[in-house]
Amino acid sequence: MSVRDILSSENELTHMLGAQQAIVLSTRIRLARNLNDHPFPGWAKAAQRAKVTELCLGALNPMPKFRRAHEVRMEALPELERAALVERHLVSKELSGGKGGAALVSRDQTVSVMINEEDHLRVQVVKGGWHLRAAWHIAEQLDDALSSALPLAYSDRLGFLTACPTNVGTGLRASAMLHLPGLCLAGHMDKVARALGQDGLAVRGWLGEGSDAAGNVFQISNQQTLGLSEDTILRHLSGWVRNVVEQEENARLRLIESEGEKFLDRIARAFGTLRHARLLTSGESMANLSLLRLACDVGMLPEARRATVDRLMIEGQPAHVQLRAGTELDTEARDARRATTTRDTLADFPEPSAPKLS
Amino acid sequence: MGKTVPCSVCGATATVHLTQIVQGQITKVHLCEGCAEKGGAGDPAVFQLAGVLSQTDIPPTLACSACGMNDADFRKKGRLGCPACWTALLPALEPLLGKIQCGVHHLGRSPSGVTYSPEQAKMRLEAARREMDEAVQSEDYESAARLRDLIRNLEGQIA
Ligand SMILES: [Zn+2]
Ligand SMILES: [Zn+2]
Repeated sequence: MSVRDILSSENELTHMLGAQQAIVLSTRIRLARNLNDHPFPGWAKAAQRAKVTELCLGALNPMPKFRRAHEVRMEALPELERAALVERHLVSKELSGGKGGAALVSRDQTVSVMINEEDHLRVQVVKGGWHLRAAWHIAEQLDDALSSALPLAYSDRLGFLTACPTNVGTGLRASAMLHLPGLCLAGHMDKVARALGQDGLAVRGWLGEGSDAAGNVFQISNQQTLGLSEDTILRHLSGWVRNVVEQEENARLRLIESEGEKFLDRIARAFGTLRHARLLTSGESMANLSLLRLACDVGMLPEARRATVDRLMIEGQPAHVQLRAGTELDTEARDARRATTTRDTLADFPEPSAPKLS
Repeated sequence: MGKTVPCSVCGATATVHLTQIVQGQITKVHLCEGCAEKGGAGDPAVFQLAGVLSQTDIPPTLACSACGMNDADFRKKGRLGCPACWTALLPALEPLLGKIQCGVHHLGRSPSGVTYSPEQAKMRLEAARREMDEAVQSEDYESAARLRDLIRNLEGQIA
């Protein structure tokens, strides 16, 4: 099963339609788990890591959730394919660059397990839109299946034992990916991030490289894993996500009301750039696609076009562009390819009209 | 040339120097390029952890017999060697947990088949009662119903 199959098959994040992911793009649950009596990957020898991989795959493969799953061994993959999996957030940078890493990705790509990342097992459940309880429910079932198939490292007092003290206890990292152009344009994002940080949540840019928030997409997640029940963690995140979504909706309204024609001009310029540019850097492309996405949310473009915009955001990332071209490209060649794909994809888009607010 | 500062996470030469406020306290964090990138693109908790681990010159006093890691190794790497380290190095870990976590007692789920110790069940029960009150107050009846079942189950384990 090749990485190309994973990247080209439809999944909830790249091919979902519908109003629900206007602001919350996706919901994610991650559980860190380890096997008893085996050193953690970062301290283990190659043979010990290999043993863990076999044990974990042996336990996971028969599970119904992983019927016809994609099994990937990081070291066997060309660099570009590894990078594309990272861009999809199916595996982490750490797994892709580390030693002896493997991943199992369910056929529908909602569930993936990283083996020999920082911990022996990192279970990830991803749902398009805002579906925290549904994602948690899947994670919980998988966790039960895992703990009956493998001897997991657990202590009564400290819970699930992990390589890093920041994950011990529940091993749970729950997160939501939010598109927040309204708060960013209004200059309120720093204030929101600070408020979240003071209340135990982490905020970081999600797309693009490093910590800058390309495309105004942010991930919000819990920081603490010990001394809190899963229920508390999920409810805390949930409350804040609802709060931030509301702030974003208000910021959009205020922006549209106060900017009037200037707002339509912003969107029209973004559209013009994407429709006509011959060279598009990944940063420029993300910034303008973010505005186009906003236009779909507020009725300036048909809502059904949002999925196309989302796909351009994901497929405009550097490794994706090169994989599609079938070869490594320098920056300028990448920018040219990205521009061509974007022009072609947007060719049949209607011109943005004035916002329609309900 | 100024003197070089070691990365608070891995001990390599630090090139990124950050000052940040963690829970009301100003913390200075020094990171090498690799760890800085990881902190930005990867786990945000790295920064927080690095701040707490920044004294790395203390000689080791504890060691894990299962994997050989000692507390000085841990301060350098910021990661433990194996599950048994959590017992062997616990005295070095407890103050850290106090700073970066919400307490030092697990209140979450356990692997299926493992029942709680009476002490653990009591703590979970207290937490679940608190949570149920919160859930009822915020009119989250789905959570409240689930918590009610959990409370019954825990009461059964204690009795
Ligand atoms: Zn470092
Ligand atoms: Zn150990």
